[in-house]
Amino acid sequence: MDREIAMMSHVFDWILVLLVLALAWRSLNDCDLFRGVIQFIALGLLLAVAWLRLRAPDVALAEAAVGSGLTGALILSALVRMRQRERRGVPASASSDTSRTLQSGTSNRSRVLIGALSLALLTALGWAVFRFSAQSSGLAVESLAKLPESGVTNPVTAVLLNFRAYDTLLEIGVLLLAIVGVWALRRGERPGDDLRERPLLMSLLRLLLPVLVLAAGYLLWIGASAPGGAFQGGALLAGALVLGLLAGLAGRFLRRERLLRTGLTLGVLVFAAAGLLALWRTGGLLQYPAGQGGAWILVIEAAALISIGLTLGLLYLGGRPEEEK
Amino acid sequence: MTASWSFALLVLGPLMAAALAFVFPRRGRGVALAAAGITAGAWVGLVREVMAGGVQIQRVGGWSAPLGIDLRADGLAVLMLMVTGLISGAVTLYSGRYFRDAHDLESAHRERYFWPLFLFLWAALNALFLSADIFNLYVTLELLGFAAVALVALAGNREALKSAMRYLFVSLAASLFYLLGVALVYGQCATVDLTLLAAKAQPGPTLWVALALMTGGLLAKAALFPLHFWLPPAHANAPAPVSALLSALVVKGAFYILLRLWFEAFHSLNTPAVAQVFGGLGAAAILWGSANALFQPRLKLLVAYSTVAQLGYLFLLFPLAAARDGGFLAWSGGLIFLAAHACAKTAMFLTAGNILHAAGHDRIKDLGGITHVPPISTFAFGLAGLSLIGLPPSSGFAGKWLLLSASLVQGQWWWVVVMLVGSLLAAAYVMRVLTRAFTRVPDATAPHPIPPVMEWTALAMAVLAVGFGLVARWPAELLRVGVPWP
Amino acid sequence: MPDTDHRLYLVAGAALFAIGFYSLVVQTHLLRRIMALNVMGSGVFLVFLTLADRTTGSVADPVPHAMVLTGIVVAVCATGLALALADRVQAATNKVDVDDGPDGSQDATDAKEARRG
Repeated sequence: MDREIAMMSHVFDWILVLLVLALAWRSLNDCDLFRGVIQFIALGLLLAVAWLRLRAPDVALAEAAVGSGLTGALILSALVRMRQRERRGVPASASSDTSRTLQSGTSNRSRVLIGALSLALLTALGWAVFRFSAQSSGLAVESLAKLPESGVTNPVTAVLLNFRAYDTLLEIGVLLLAIVGVWALRRGERPGDDLRERPLLMSLLRLLLPVLVLAAGYLLWIGASAPGGAFQGGALLAGALVLGLLAGLAGRFLRRERLLRTGLTLGVLVFAAAGLLALWRTGGLLQYPAGQGGAWILVIEAAALISIGLTLGLLYLGGRPEEEK
Repeated sequence: MTASWSFALLVLGPLMAAALAFVFPRRGRGVALAAAGITAGAWVGLVREVMAGGVQIQRVGGWSAPLGIDLRADGLAVLMLMVTGLISGAVTLYSGRYFRDAHDLESAHRERYFWPLFLFLWAALNALFLSADIFNLYVTLELLGFAAVALVALAGNREALKSAMRYLFVSLAASLFYLLGVALVYGQCATVDLTLLAAKAQPGPTLWVALALMTGGLLAKAALFPLHFWLPPAHANAPAPVSALLSALVVKGAFYILLRLWFEAFHSLNTPAVAQVFGGLGAAAILWGSANALFQPRLKLLVAYSTVAQLGYLFLLFPLAAARDGGFLAWSGGLIFLAAHACAKTAMFLTAGNILHAAGHDRIKDLGGITHVPPISTFAFGLAGLSLIGLPPSSGFAGKWLLLSASLVQGQWWWVVVMLVGSLLAAAYVMRVLTRAFTRVPDATAPHPIPPVMEWTALAMAVLAVGFGLVARWPAELLRVGVPWP
Repeated sequence: MPDTDHRLYLVAGAALFAIGFYSLVVQTHLLRRIMALNVMGSGVFLVFLTLADRTTGSVADPVPHAMVLTGIVVAVCATGLALALADRVQAATNKVDVDDGPDGSQDATDAKEARRG
């Protein structure tokens, strides 16, 4: 019986891996770009399955929401925008045609060269990874030993918001930096309000949006003890924002520039201020007072959730919402 | 205690300032000045602790490595923070006028976004120099790369956008190579802390591949020949203060991590053969970059190719500093050279910005006649050139002299030849600009006046590039604190 | 998990990385290259998470999980920034690649040679 289960999971692993590799190749080399993007999104979902198989449910949640869902939506809307522009303007050269394909790529000689280089890379990597021992506890023992002191019971949240909180602080900075960079580049286009003509869909959305926001809050709360947290919750919040944008419900909100900017920076400012406050109280940067870890983490995560949700949602606009005065 | 606050403020000061400059777009310059003041104070506090008490370590969150992240300040980190602070301060003053000069809507937009992006860049650099954790370094590299790309794209024209796009591709791919290396290192050693790795890392296939991946990514970011292809267009098409930041500081961030990896965490893998390869690539960069600089039609492209060449000198540090005899000579020489180049390159790019501003172009063959208009700028360019060529008593000379002495002590005479040829070529391309600028053309077009603050900051950096050499003993003393070998 | 064949997943991660790298260099369309970067990233994450799964206890090593979460967020930020930049490039040049070099610098010759038409 046990052998059969082991056998089955072995077969499952092989099928999963082969599917992942095939989809990865097809998504990047399919002659139809639109089909490529769809396969790319499917790849993200398959990877989420792989993360579950590798006992990483927190990552699987984030991958499904952010890696596959949001990234896919971003790329799809960029593709639509590019094609619209192409239809408006006269293509300047053969390679400007988005629907055109591999033929407009690199010459055969350099393809072979780069292929050989990539194979060499793969060989070296394969050689390196085959040397790994089959068992290693990494830092699992240390993290579990210190888990009771962290203020949360989900080890991943403990690493993200306590043991390695400094990484996460800088990462919230990366999020803010990305939106500043995008706003510096261009003005976003408001998605068309065609959903308004579908009353049934609209009333469904009005029901769905509060549920999504509530679910985001729930994911944040549950993240202390189970898979979830600010990133997964933020991704849901971003999804709600994107839906709101598509339905034309967020227009008035987008005009309040100062409020938007405050919301976007809230995560960085609260996190950094908490770090300094902790330094003042305990003498250590980001060192939460003993026994209060849970509360500090919750406050930081709540601020981060708002910023993450806003940032990821507004990335979908692809630019700043309004012309500045 | 003081050190803890210094660590915190050096990183969080510019980071919070970046956020505030985004919320209050009209107050960008004031916020940046405040950040400059805070970081300067924090740096002074830190340098006193380091000089008095040796290497300072901050265990973030109260957890020590391997579970937590350590920040660390030794002489090298403090020196890099000083260079960063000086150049960022100069850029703050310069940019206060640079973006304001044209009163159109476009440049107002640019100024609004310049400040938060610049402050992010500054925070990323400070975080990078203080980090002792190779995964944390990955996050700082991404912060640095995003800010740099967004700043290049700020110029907004066709060429700038294209070079920013290419720069982003190179930067992101390089980061992923680095991150894959980190994954392999973690899998093998179960830690990402530089100090713990130094004790744990044993040469073996996995670590060789991991280190090769990380090094490859960092070499692309540091633009070492032959991975320099993205640098000249990106640095030449960015706004002038951004070019200064990129050439003086951003590429050095990746170089700094390479030093930390090869001389500390993985010193057991730093064999003479590896060191000679680094040196060889450095030599090729010196010759290739200098030769290309000679033939560039535009001033900013010339200065950018000069960066490709000067980065080569830094990599001569690898074969020279690893040896027992004269190792520290080469180490301090290479790092003084780094500081000298950072100041000189800032002066040159700021001057190039002034010339662009005055003449409306930077075509070298048409520069004749501008000298009697912005004499301070031309003087600044000349002084910076002095340091770049390596003439005494400039700091470029001090750095090169130490590197030369080290190679003579160790009998590695081939690097001496490369350095001398590089200096001659540098003299040739600097003179090419100066002779053009000093020839008077009777019907020179009426130039646009340059705001004094823009001229004086360029000159101040040039004076630093020369004057730093007179006090080169002090950085050498500082660098002894926490030097990676006894 | 003890019964999982980790080498299979590790090699798959390496292969994803190599596929992404190959496509990043060979492809010219900006969107394809942006997706290629994401695939490279997924390869790195697969290696990270597989290495974390080698524990004998009931849970996997949480530290790489946190690192991968950081990596996923950085990746989506990079994608957003790259897409906005690609959009501006297309608006400015009317093209969806960045293949020809600026004002004939010699670094562009390879790309020029490679471009068809």
